[in-house]
Amino acid sequence: MSALFDVIASMLFGGTLFMIVLTANDIATENQSTYNGDMLVQEMLTSTAQLVEGEFRNMGFGVPEHQRTITYADSTAISFLCDLNRDGNIDTLKYTLGGTDELLDTQNEMDRFLKRKVNTGQIMSVGAVTTFKLRYHTRDGEVLPIPVPWDRLTEIHVVEVTMEVQNPYAPYRDAAMVKSGERNALYSSSLWQQTRLASQNSRR
Amino acid sequence: MTTGQTMLTLGAFVFLSTIMLNFYRLVADTGTVIASGQDGILATTIATSYMELAQGVAFDNVTDSSDIAIANPSALSSVLGPEAGEDSLSQYNDFDDFNGATVDKQATGSNRRYRTTFSVCYANPNDVSQKSGGKTYLKRMDLKTWRIEPPAAGPNDIDTLRTSLVMGYFHFD
Repeated sequence: MSALFDVIASMLFGGTLFMIVLTANDIATENQSTYNGDMLVQEMLTSTAQLVEGEFRNMGFGVPEHQRTITYADSTAISFLCDLNRDGNIDTLKYTLGGTDELLDTQNEMDRFLKRKVNTGQIMSVGAVTTFKLRYHTRDGEVLPIPVPWDRLTEIHVVEVTMEVQNPYAPYRDAAMVKSGERNALYSSSLWQQTRLASQNSRR
Repeated sequence: MTTGQTMLTLGAFVFLSTIMLNFYRLVADTGTVIASGQDGILATTIATSYMELAQGVAFDNVTDSSDIAIANPSALSSVLGPEAGEDSLSQYNDFDDFNGATVDKQATGSNRRYRTTFSVCYANPNDVSQKSGGKTYLKRMDLKTWRIEPPAAGPNDIDTLRTSLVMGYFHFD
């Protein structure tokens, strides 16, 4: 009888230990996946942001004073002039946000390409983002209407850029844990928001 | 089960509990480190946004509306700070208006809120990291940016981002 009790007690203890280790392993795997996703999106975001930041900073560089710098300004698209190669020739840069239908092969249904075009060249993708929003402020802090009317483009003093990147693939969540309106996978997200001075554009 | 076996089992449980505690602490710490990466990104973007704004204003109150070259730095402002009526960033029109300002900003699309404090001084032209005792043609802005919402779990959980910007006075004749 005592031996049987020992066996049952041992199985209980062993089972508990086994469950604890299994749970810990699950948590470790899920966290590892989430943290990897977090790191990935932060790296993706910073690499895309570096390009955007650098080119927005040079907005209007080398453009003659009589010429306007920003030629089109919308909530997800902007076109501006800049001497990219410092060769004396003014280039036209255009940033646009693609549609979600262009990235249907990824698990994330919200990601889309951020596209860049120089002059009449090919449209190139500079990264995958989930949000790319632009807002335009005047020197007095007024937020300009979108798209900015042609006759008010010269009033743009500050360009506010908001960019969000999510990972294209993420581990699916347990269906029982997904509430209405929530997403079915553990997507990591990283946000970047910056205001850039369109100083070369002011008063032109 | 003998007393010895019971003690051995209890000892094993204590050992396992210690391992599990350390494991969960490690997982939590890793999460904090990853989250601080996002904090760093947002704090940097906010700080550089303010620096951009500062680069778009005049060097000094005496140069913000005058096109006359300042031949001697003694003509520059003695008191660094906003002039009367300038009580927000959009009203600042010269570099030292930011001196003493504290600005909170919430990143759009995020519940994270950041505070930035500004300090402006005249900088030594031979070593811009040093403050100058008198007026010079160089001003340095020191910014400190840190997250205030959601609050940190502990004092060591959030780093303050420190950035500096030096602006020089120049005039085209």
